[in-house]
Amino acid sequence: MTAPANTVVRTGRDGDDLLVAVRDLKKHFPIREGALQKVVGHIKAVDGVSFDIRRGETVGLVGESGCGKTTLGRVVSGLTEPTDGGVYFGLGGEERRKLDTLLEVQSPDRTDEQSEALSALDANHRVDVMVGDAFDHYRRNCQVVFQESFASLNPRQLIKDIVGRPLRVHREASGSDLTERVVELLEQVGLGRQHLFRYPHQFSGGQRQRISIARALALDPELVILDEPTSALDVSVQAQILNLLHELQQERNLAYLFITHDLSVVRHMADRIVVMYVGKVAEAGPTQTIFERPEHPYTDALLASSPDMKESAQDLQALEGAIPDPALPPQGCRFHTRCPVATPACGWEVDDIVRWLEDEEGMFDELRDVERKSPFEAALSFRSEDAANRLAAALRSDAVPDAMRSAIEDLNTTGTDTRIRFTAVDEVQLTLRSEDHVAACVLNRGTSTEPS
Amino acid sequence: MVDVPAGPAPARITDSAWRVRTRRGGELLMSLLKNPTTVAGLVFIVLLLGMAIFAPLIAEPNTPDAYQMPRDWGALAVPPGSPGHILGTTNVGGDVLYGVVWGARTSLRLSVIVVSLTVLIGVTVGSIAGFRGGKVDEILMRIVDVFLSIPELIFALAIAAVLGPSFRNIILALAVVFWVKYARIMRAQIIHVKENEYVDAARVIGDSPLRIYLKDILPNSITPVVVQATLDMGNIVLVGATLSFIGLSEAGIAEWGVLVSEGQSGISAGRWWSSTFPGMMVFLWALGFNLFGDGLRDVLDPKTESTR
Ligand SMILES: Nc1ncnc2c1ncn2[C@@H]1O[C@H](COP(=O)(O)OP(=O)(O)OP(=O)(O)O)[C@@H](O)[C@H]1O
Ligand code: SF4
Ligand SMILES: [Mg+2]
Repeated sequence: MTAPANTVVRTGRDGDDLLVAVRDLKKHFPIREGALQKVVGHIKAVDGVSFDIRRGETVGLVGESGCGKTTLGRVVSGLTEPTDGGVYFGLGGEERRKLDTLLEVQSPDRTDEQSEALSALDANHRVDVMVGDAFDHYRRNCQVVFQESFASLNPRQLIKDIVGRPLRVHREASGSDLTERVVELLEQVGLGRQHLFRYPHQFSGGQRQRISIARALALDPELVILDEPTSALDVSVQAQILNLLHELQQERNLAYLFITHDLSVVRHMADRIVVMYVGKVAEAGPTQTIFERPEHPYTDALLASSPDMKESAQDLQALEGAIPDPALPPQGCRFHTRCPVATPACGWEVDDIVRWLEDEEGMFDELRDVERKSPFEAALSFRSEDAANRLAAALRSDAVPDAMRSAIEDLNTTGTDTRIRFTAVDEVQLTLRSEDHVAACVLNRGTSTEPS
Repeated sequence: MVDVPAGPAPARITDSAWRVRTRRGGELLMSLLKNPTTVAGLVFIVLLLGMAIFAPLIAEPNTPDAYQMPRDWGALAVPPGSPGHILGTTNVGGDVLYGVVWGARTSLRLSVIVVSLTVLIGVTVGSIAGFRGGKVDEILMRIVDVFLSIPELIFALAIAAVLGPSFRNIILALAVVFWVKYARIMRAQIIHVKENEYVDAARVIGDSPLRIYLKDILPNSITPVVVQATLDMGNIVLVGATLSFIGLSEAGIAEWGVLVSEGQSGISAGRWWSSTFPGMMVFLWALGFNLFGDGLRDVLDPKTESTR
């Protein structure tokens, strides 16, 4: 059931209603240091994400702060160039099948014919390379509502100019026709003609978000990316904005990519949910499935921490521990550093020992050097033999998690050095759990129906 | 924060963009006028500009060049109150009133030319550096740092001295010296403003980089430049007069620094008027623009604006 590493695991069904296909998308930000600004590493904000957005549906993109949601949204909206992979817009069902077949072959193994076919698809559909009419079509049909309603409205422009700007840029209206179109848009979001000649600072947060929505709708797009559109608002106002978004979706058959850190916000809105963890998809599937039969322990934790989910949280534990550094994501399963049900096969590594040592001051102060052979194998040298022996003893006792202990293949101490080798494991891949439902966890709860 | 969608429509449905902007300008003016020192600055500026603009009506222009002092060889160094010479004359028979009035014009010419030039150059260089970043930014800012490390007056003096004594060269020297501040200010503003989400919002709409610069970035970064330009309207005249005073412009032109310099030798002999009146003008000019510039800074400060 485990998919080979290069397979694109899709969360959408086949069909002709596809709007956006995100394929193995990566965005890495270089980390620069020193006077020469040398690149010393990369923040892997988005690190291989694939999913589909279909016409008229809401995809909820959920995850903790810093897991890469905004970055992913920015790449989908064309604001940021991807490092690798692509966002495909407007593929037909046939083209999508063709694309996925082509992408299954790694680039060095592609025949000339395959490369050519892929370039042809890219030129017409991949948002970071397409030009001309294709790009214009995409630009009109993919709009964004940002989190900070104040920062996203130019303080020196009147509402009329802000909301009318897309129409002017795409030469859809001018003069009094433009004014009427703007009034229409304002009315659709619950504002009106009397607001035309005001500045953004004259509105409340909720009203400003309505203005942002009106601007996003001006070109009658097919997709709107909503990046935490309500998280800066009061609770009572949040509900109003969510209702408005819902109504507009019904009227206009809009698709939403709804980004939020709070599952409860998208519960009633989203058709499908993509759960992200440190740049990767942990689980994705239909909303009901995610809520009722989550397959990933991280999803459990998100459900437990969601404010209005408390009553349904049977024995779900809220999350503890620090979010891993996206520049050095954990091996195996990225969640293993915090997972309450982690197994020996989850990717235990040298860093886990170093992290554990940080809390053991007596030993940590004695640690001199960590010489790594691989993420899974290293020699830890201490200042004293005693400390080296104490570490070895601790690693054999239940001072460390059972799963971690069981993953140790080799452990020995020579003098002041403790050598450790864990079982090397590959990155845990997404696997199909039920129809349209994937999760990246070595455990299989089997609560779902067998995959088709 | 209560969100009231489309509450009862306020009366002003007939608003227009023009009216709203005028009203906003009016509000700005009102808040400027609340500060007495700003008002004082504004009064000086209005008087001095009035003098410059209406110079031909106050003192009949000299021919062929109105910017040359007329000479009355029959009335050398007469005191104020003398017939035909209300403020007296210089050692060489130049009418002090003429120098004061046409000197205002000279100062206006100097400051407007230098400020326009330096703002244009500074804003362009600063915008390119702030926008492009990377190597271009590094090189441009290295140059700016070198310029800024030399004191303005000494730098301008050195350049004017090299170019040779003439008023035109003073203008050139001041332009060379004064643009760097704008480049520095503009770059810092752009780097900050371009991160705003309304810039991203404009990109998502599909607007062109040039229009994004003109509509979103420039209007939101220009305020400190406007304040600095107001202050420099004063400073440039001060530095320009200083350079003229030490003899870096032609003798005999209607320029306050030149007049102060010409009258200097007579002060010990009790002929104070020939230096004092033009000197006072330089002082008032610099003071007026500095007071007004400070008031403008308080009112336009973006920090107070965003917390409204
Ligand atoms: N322009 C950038 N340059 C460098 N690093 C960045 C940049 N943008 C984002 N990052 C980093 O990428 C990671 C993901 O950031 P992102 O903003 O996408 O997360 P997020 O899920 O939206 O978080 P939040 O809930 O806080 O908004 C973070 O570690 C962040 O510091
Ligand atoms: S693979 Fe599953 S069990 Fe293992 S750490 Fe990850 S989430 Fe937990
Ligand atoms: Mg975010």
